[in-house]
Amino acid sequence: MRGNTLFKLLSLLVLAGLVLAACGGTSPTADNPYAEIPFEEGISVSADSCDYGGKISSIEATDRLTVVFNLCKPDPAFLAKVAFTPFGIQPREYLDYAGPSKLILEAPVGTGPYRVAEWVRGDHVTFTAFENYWGTPAVAATAVLRWATEGSARLVELQAGTADMVTNISPADIATVQADPNLNLIFNVNPNVFYLAFTNTFAPWDNVDVRRAVSLGLDRSRIVENYYPAGSEVASHFTPCAIPNGCVGDAWYDFDPEAARALLAEAGFPDGFATKIYYRDVVRGYLPQVPNVAQDVQAQLLENLNIEAEIVVMESGAFIEESSAGRLDGLYFLGWGADYPHVTNFLDFHFGEANGQFGTPHPEIFENLVSGSQIADPAESEPYYVAANNAIRELVPMVAVAHGGSGTAYRADVTNAQASPLTNEQFAVSDPGGRDVFVFMQNAEPISLFCADETDGESLRACDQVIEALYGYEVNGTAVVPMLAEVCEPNDDLSVWTCTLRQGVTFHDGSTFDANDVVATFTMGLDASSPLHQGNTGIFEYYDYLWGLMNKPAE
Amino acid sequence: MDAESISLESVSLWRITWRRLFRRKSSIVGLIIILILIFIALTAQWIAPYDPLQVLIGLEDVKMREAPCVHLFGCPTEKPQHILGIDGNVRDQFSRLLYGTRLSLMVGFSTVTFSIAVGTVLGALSGYLGGWVDNTIMRVMDVLLAFPSLLLAIAIVTVLGPGLINALLAIGIVSIPAYARVVRASVLSVREMDYVSATRALGGNLFEILFQRIMPNALTPLIVQGTLGIATAILDAAALSFLGLGAQPPTPEWGSMLGSERNQVFTAPHLVFFPGLAIMITVLAFNLLGDGLRDALDPRLAQGG
Repeated sequence: MRGNTLFKLLSLLVLAGLVLAACGGTSPTADNPYAEIPFEEGISVSADSCDYGGKISSIEATDRLTVVFNLCKPDPAFLAKVAFTPFGIQPREYLDYAGPSKLILEAPVGTGPYRVAEWVRGDHVTFTAFENYWGTPAVAATAVLRWATEGSARLVELQAGTADMVTNISPADIATVQADPNLNLIFNVNPNVFYLAFTNTFAPWDNVDVRRAVSLGLDRSRIVENYYPAGSEVASHFTPCAIPNGCVGDAWYDFDPEAARALLAEAGFPDGFATKIYYRDVVRGYLPQVPNVAQDVQAQLLENLNIEAEIVVMESGAFIEESSAGRLDGLYFLGWGADYPHVTNFLDFHFGEANGQFGTPHPEIFENLVSGSQIADPAESEPYYVAANNAIRELVPMVAVAHGGSGTAYRADVTNAQASPLTNEQFAVSDPGGRDVFVFMQNAEPISLFCADETDGESLRACDQVIEALYGYEVNGTAVVPMLAEVCEPNDDLSVWTCTLRQGVTFHDGSTFDANDVVATFTMGLDASSPLHQGNTGIFEYYDYLWGLMNKPAE
Repeated sequence: MDAESISLESVSLWRITWRRLFRRKSSIVGLIIILILIFIALTAQWIAPYDPLQVLIGLEDVKMREAPCVHLFGCPTEKPQHILGIDGNVRDQFSRLLYGTRLSLMVGFSTVTFSIAVGTVLGALSGYLGGWVDNTIMRVMDVLLAFPSLLLAIAIVTVLGPGLINALLAIGIVSIPAYARVVRASVLSVREMDYVSATRALGGNLFEILFQRIMPNALTPLIVQGTLGIATAILDAAALSFLGLGAQPPTPEWGSMLGSERNQVFTAPHLVFFPGLAIMITVLAFNLLGDGLRDALDPRLAQGG
């Protein structure tokens, strides 16, 4: 009898819950345990003043489909930056719901041609085509992203037909792919640079003559000719020539071991010295054969400069942390692939006033960069970049070694295969020979799918299938194209950008895209005091580096 | 039985052992291979055609990971001869392999010497003194034995830092319990024998009793264990180097040579095959000799002797 009463009470409670849910103003769908917030009034985020050092003064949703970015100073690269994956837009409601619980790290909600179906950690991410996509629908109904750190493992999967496309073919495997009639190869022209760095706060790297001696005593063409695939080139400047103003100014030093030894002797090291070469054993387009290059540099240093270098292999995360903080006392290998095709992406990040990875930054370099970055016309800004590049050559904070080419291989029946120069291949446009599933293999597993707070290419590639920004990059190219914005127009001095948003766009959760979603997304990334500013690491590196974080806690 | 006959008997025991050892073909094969390896290790600088660290870029017309070129087998004579090919850093693979022999044997002998020295002292003290000393030492040994040896070695190298010396130390440490247990068992079996009691009664000190009376009788299992231990040590060192924890570049070590070219198994198989073969042959040789010694020194087989 008592059990019967309890059952009735429970039934009543369930019924009452259902009725309440049905009567709610905006009802969450079966998939969404959160309600959509209709656009009633535009929201905004703003800094108290521009003294915080960032580039954004305020972002305002002035109406349902208009967002205005007020910048602290002119930014000619605004469109190239805003198109970058970390600035992909997610629904305001979902940020509120999934941000604090960190659900957002694994289940992003965007507007892209694919939505995340499942992420089997350690194995694959499955995407399914989004039926309400505003643009051209995905060709394959399902896309699968897999990974293998070993180049040979990726090739074996491709040869076995279990992958349709694989990235970073090892240089040694290129001939195998070219000889196989069932496979095709595209050489990737990702603008990148591999450099050998020093931290000038440690002896003997505090002596510019020692740094210059290493630069002169290293036969960089020997490294490129022997350890890089076809299409790679010896770096004449830090930034590749494909980027406007990238390689203006004097070219890098020629190999001259005699002069290098003389310079080293002048610096007080006639018999050389002992040091270390640090690197992480991770394959990148800019450095395809890390251990071999390390051993060659080690041999060259000994042969040409009598510098005995011990090789130290570090775990990737620890290496990045230590090198970024300027805590490595020897030489170290690092590189950079273009995030967006602008010279600021290469020079400002590395040689800006805030970056301590090479030790104490040089005003001779960063002052020119600040001036150059505020001028839209490349011809007009060229003198600043000439001066900056010449200062880099003179002060040698690092030795730019190579701009690496890499190969992407795919099954011969795949059409619209891509090797994006920005490594943001769009799975949706590739046709896997009429099959329903397109399988793409990359070097490593994404760290998370919340790319506002990730920097690794493997995570960004996964996010690119799901999340879209106001602008994007053309398929297989670097030109910016409108995505969620129909257009973003600047004022005369490029300090105010007004974006008109695309109509009729829906998110994967069924909610409608509007201006408040844009402001909420940027607030989450930019405002360090926001409760949603949590992410994976909480660093939001790209927001910080490209825009500057508001309300950043004092270090 | 006078002193002369005792001496004669003792000599004949070793002679019997040698005779038994040489009766087994596999032992002879093992011994010959080991002698060849020792010869290679001692003469590497004279028989290796190249400096193992010499990068040949610009010195010879060779390419990275080039296949073996043997003039006798039809390789054009105008091309420089590299009988095991060129490695990923354009160095002569054959020379590196020869120098690798030196390192591998050094690893095997030094780690086993270290382990035997420490293990023998610990095992002897443990077996002879008994009580809390025995309990303490053997429980520590049990703890060490509870870990898979390679994993423990990896853990030790991780703490000490990668490098050949640290790898040797790690392998040496993880091998100690095996020798300590063998020696302890032997000591336990002979410590109450009459000749030991007699020495004790005559006022012999601990050192004299242990190392002059007891240890000579515990030597047999130690020799067998040590020979087999060299094989294990070489294999462990190669594994550590393969994982990047042992010998560091550019040192020519078989494990690191194998590890650095593991991705080229299809494109340049000679770079993986030959170091692998060298490890296999060396380990096999020590195992064959160790097995032969075990059988030859086993008193239960004396009748067959």
